[in-house]
Amino acid sequence: MAGSTALETEAAPLERAPAIGRVSDPRRASWLVLVVFLAPALVIYLGLTAYPAFRTIFDSLFTIEGSERSYVGLANYRDLLGDETFWIAVRNTFVWAFVAPILDVATGLLLALALYAGIPFSRFFRVAWFTPVLLSYVVVAILWMWIYNYDWGVVNEGLRAAGLDALTRSWLGDPNTALAALIVTHAWKWAGFNMVVCLAAIHALPSEVLEAAELDNCGWGAKLRYVIVPMLRPTLLNLYVLAFIGKMKVFDLVWIMTGGGPLWATETVSTYVYKRAFNWNTFDLGYPSAIATVWFGVVCAAVIVLNRVFKSRDRLEY
Amino acid sequence: MSADATLPPARGRGGFLASRTALAVVIAAYTAYTLGPFLWLATMSVRTTGEISADHYAWPRPFHWEQFRIAWVDSDFATYFWNSTIVVVAAVAAVTLVGAAAAHALARYRFRGNRIIYGILFSSIIFPPQITLISLYQILVDYGLYNSLLGLTLVYVSLQLPLTVYLLEGFFARIPQDLFDAAKMDGYGDIEIFRRIVLPIGMPAIATTLILNFIQLWNEFLFAVVLITDPDKRTLPIGIRAFMGDHFQDIGMIAAGVMISVVPVILAYVFFSEKLIRGMTAGAVK
Repeated sequence: MAGSTALETEAAPLERAPAIGRVSDPRRASWLVLVVFLAPALVIYLGLTAYPAFRTIFDSLFTIEGSERSYVGLANYRDLLGDETFWIAVRNTFVWAFVAPILDVATGLLLALALYAGIPFSRFFRVAWFTPVLLSYVVVAILWMWIYNYDWGVVNEGLRAAGLDALTRSWLGDPNTALAALIVTHAWKWAGFNMVVCLAAIHALPSEVLEAAELDNCGWGAKLRYVIVPMLRPTLLNLYVLAFIGKMKVFDLVWIMTGGGPLWATETVSTYVYKRAFNWNTFDLGYPSAIATVWFGVVCAAVIVLNRVFKSRDRLEY
Repeated sequence: MSADATLPPARGRGGFLASRTALAVVIAAYTAYTLGPFLWLATMSVRTTGEISADHYAWPRPFHWEQFRIAWVDSDFATYFWNSTIVVVAAVAAVTLVGAAAAHALARYRFRGNRIIYGILFSSIIFPPQITLISLYQILVDYGLYNSLLGLTLVYVSLQLPLTVYLLEGFFARIPQDLFDAAKMDGYGDIEIFRRIVLPIGMPAIATTLILNFIQLWNEFLFAVVLITDPDKRTLPIGIRAFMGDHFQDIGMIAAGVMISVVPVILAYVFFSEKLIRGMTAGAVK
């Protein structure tokens, strides 16, 4: 029934007030209308996202130097297995993507709780703590390169002022500390984002439950552990996955602050792809395409697995 | 409202004071941690590099406002600023219009494949950028769009499209169907409904996506650095990076350039902080 009436409405859209019996399902539209609304988005998606993605996957089977391309089958993938730099990059990215989100989300949750506890000037603090989220990676990278500067950076100046000269070092130049230094910088930028999300989620909690906890004279620690965190579980896990995705892609910060060095200590998959495709004089776009393809699969698989793992546990109903 | 009301009353006065003091210290320390670097940058932007080298932490005296004029005129930051403005404004306008049209169709009309199209558009949010980056470079070279602001604008539209459709679809779907039924009764066509009902009612959500897209693209680095090589076409992020590569020691001038790039974002934040935060949280709270 709905199908035929939809056509009628389309045929005479300007006819005033169709008779009651003939009112069509207003949730249907002709193909023409749908095409007008959807075509621009689909064309952009197909041309600038889907086609390039498929082309990269296809290109990974070739060696491409300038306009010359020769089919090499799976040779790029075979090379990849033996590429030590690639595996170092994978290890660094995994450390970053799996461990660092805990730091981001925990900081964000604590900040949100501080705001929720009703500290004075909370509006100011929320704005202040959120500010780093807005700064570009270029700005954040430059700021933190100065903060980590050996001669006059804040970290080393602070250590010297405290009489801990022995601990001063070139934070980004030392392979033992470079990755940690970058992770701290990344967490500095993103903690505020996790904070506002946690805060919104806390405010969305049913107030009866929190009031009941207060009536039971439940301390802050117990309230946090037994009431707030379990109820925020879905949000916290969601934030973890979001942070995870972001860190699997991390490029800008590393590229500007360390360029992947020293001694590959901060090399990530993204920076390695960039180096192989556009920075080194290897002039082959096939091999980096293979890395990008593998990483595309890894990110998609990881996101699916994380979602499965987190969703399989029962959600708290309230 | 106040902290006193939420703290358990059973505690002794001493413990109460101690915990409040500890909280205040932590809050002050974290605020210094987030705002401190930014204020440090601001002070360095109005000091000359010579002054900074003498003492990196001194208060600017006098304020060298001419640093900004030098950065703007002599160090080419004006070029970078206007390139960024052109690309970002054009891309944000285009992605909002295209995204809103698609979001409206997906939120309002029932048709076969609706959820599949939505899912496909949305899923590209998780794509690592390299999967499109290498091919986009080749495609733009093929079509003569490499090293052009138009090419970068098109790529930016495609980058922000998934998020825009996602945020707007969520909002448009909550507009009551009655409004559309009434409009149809009054003889509105589908395009008119979009223009005269969806866009005005959806304005708060559209404003949110506008600001969010503006800030994300204003800060974008990876695609710009790959797709733009001509110094006259650099956007701010790659302009600053290039300037730093050439003048590594000129800290005062780098700081002034960074401030120029940060000011529009801070202004957007000052005026629209609520909308911005709502937009950024919309995707994460479920």
